[in-house]
Amino acid sequence: MSNQPTLISVDSVTKRYGSKEIIHNISFDVKKGEIVGFLGPNGAGKTTTMRMISGFTAPTTGRVFVAGHDMSHDNYEGAKKIGYLPEHPPLYEVLKVRRYLQFISKVKRIKRSRVNSELDRVITACRLEAVTEKEIYKLSKGYRQRVGLAQALLGDPDVLLLDEPTAGLDPGQIQETREVIRTFGQDHAVLLSTHILPEVTLICQRIAIINEGRILAVDSPEALQSASDKTNNVSIELSGDHYKLEEAIRATDGVKGVKFAPDKNKEMYFQVDCHVESRDGIESELARVITTHGALHSLSRQKPTLENVFLKYISDGTQPKEIIQ
Amino acid sequence: MNGVTAVLHKELTNYFQSPIAYFIVAVFLLGTGYFFIDHVFLRGSASMDTTLQSMGILLIIVVPAISMRLFSSEYSGRTIELLMTLPLRKWEIVLGKYLGAFIIFLIMTLTTCINLIPLVLYGNPDILNIISGYVGFILLGMACIAIGQLFSSLTENQIIAALMTWPVLLGFWFVGKFKSFQQTAWLRSLSDYLSFSGHYGDFLRGLIRSEGVIFFLAVTTIALILNTAYIRGRR
Repeated sequence: MSNQPTLISVDSVTKRYGSKEIIHNISFDVKKGEIVGFLGPNGAGKTTTMRMISGFTAPTTGRVFVAGHDMSHDNYEGAKKIGYLPEHPPLYEVLKVRRYLQFISKVKRIKRSRVNSELDRVITACRLEAVTEKEIYKLSKGYRQRVGLAQALLGDPDVLLLDEPTAGLDPGQIQETREVIRTFGQDHAVLLSTHILPEVTLICQRIAIINEGRILAVDSPEALQSASDKTNNVSIELSGDHYKLEEAIRATDGVKGVKFAPDKNKEMYFQVDCHVESRDGIESELARVITTHGALHSLSRQKPTLENVFLKYISDGTQPKEIIQ
Repeated sequence: MNGVTAVLHKELTNYFQSPIAYFIVAVFLLGTGYFFIDHVFLRGSASMDTTLQSMGILLIIVVPAISMRLFSSEYSGRTIELLMTLPLRKWEIVLGKYLGAFIIFLIMTLTTCINLIPLVLYGNPDILNIISGYVGFILLGMACIAIGQLFSSLTENQIIAALMTWPVLLGFWFVGKFKSFQQTAWLRSLSDYLSFSGHYGDFLRGLIRSEGVIFFLAVTTIALILNTAYIRGRR
């Protein structure tokens, strides 16, 4: 991935509306063949950042490059490389779906000989076959979202910007849309904003966590999880004297909290959740203490979920208003 | 120019897919029909100049209804985000939209030519005078639409866009009347020069003067340039 060209580059970008700073000096890149998830609670600055990358708004300071074109000054050349699905699908209500897509094809300068095959390609990819001759105002929310996605895919752009692409879709449609994005992302650059955690783990190679206009972390989901093991829990199965064992575990260096739950089927058997510090070696210390006062049956250190990671990163500021499991 | 034709085509489809265009053309035809019957049949004048004079005022009332949606509906429908992020230059958006509205206006104007049939059949009208009047009418329409489109780009509310356009167009129409109240010579000539009705009146009298042609074209160009600058500045 590292030798692939950078297709989106956000360099020290700040956006101010009047005296209010919405985006504070953010920087990140997206390379060809990468799907990057832009993850943050509502109002974190995802849409504003997307709009700056698409060229709809200009940054107050800093620069945005798409396929080498500076979007901060004139977005005309860069726009040829972008497929953009804004937060609210931009649709002309009175036009029929096919007519709307024809308009987009014409603006994107798709050759006349290729228009029909290109239209058929995106119509099939977005499952719009049943509604091509329907006026857009007659469509359901799911179809409207897919027409928006189809216009973004038209012309096979190098860069795809998708602002909450699965909003309003039913579970089946969500799966289909994710598949379309995954396939497209194999040889293009995709930046996808969402506040749905499973979405990023399922399709993104990297995640940029944003909150209150600041990028808090950019890395792969696995790297974010392993770098964030301060919230680690240790699960233990043991047997022996409850009071002696609990006292000994609590006294172990690095243990922050202990919760004993008795096993209903076996006497003197307990399930223990232990909240520990991040440093290495705590597991072996716990095992030594437990075997001194009773019997140890299993001990495993749990990795934090992405939700834990996300909450940890944003908990320094405002808690997220909405996280969908 | 590819971008201009794409936007123009989209605009025309948009106009004709909704009842607005038909409604506006119908209202305009009814109005001109009334003026024509009043001036030609009831007053017995075999000329179009008084009808065209009334059509000018009617045009100023009708134009904001055509132009008010040009940008406002893009803002309120959030489609402006699409237009501004597609590979379209800002002037292509402005010109494509303008030409769309202008073609609706031309269709509207052409339909009024039906009035010429009885005039030619039963009277002996001055054809050159009629042509000159129509040239003036089209130039007046061009300037009015450009001003209306500029105001439409300032707000997402179509009604507010129309309410801003009307006083400005009426101001341009009646500004010539203030000439007699002005003490200073330059203010007198300025109010005379800015008068839509003054320049239009020349065309109705059969005079296609370069001053009038340049004036209406200049107003159109300035309004479209301001329109382009405004939407570029919105970023």
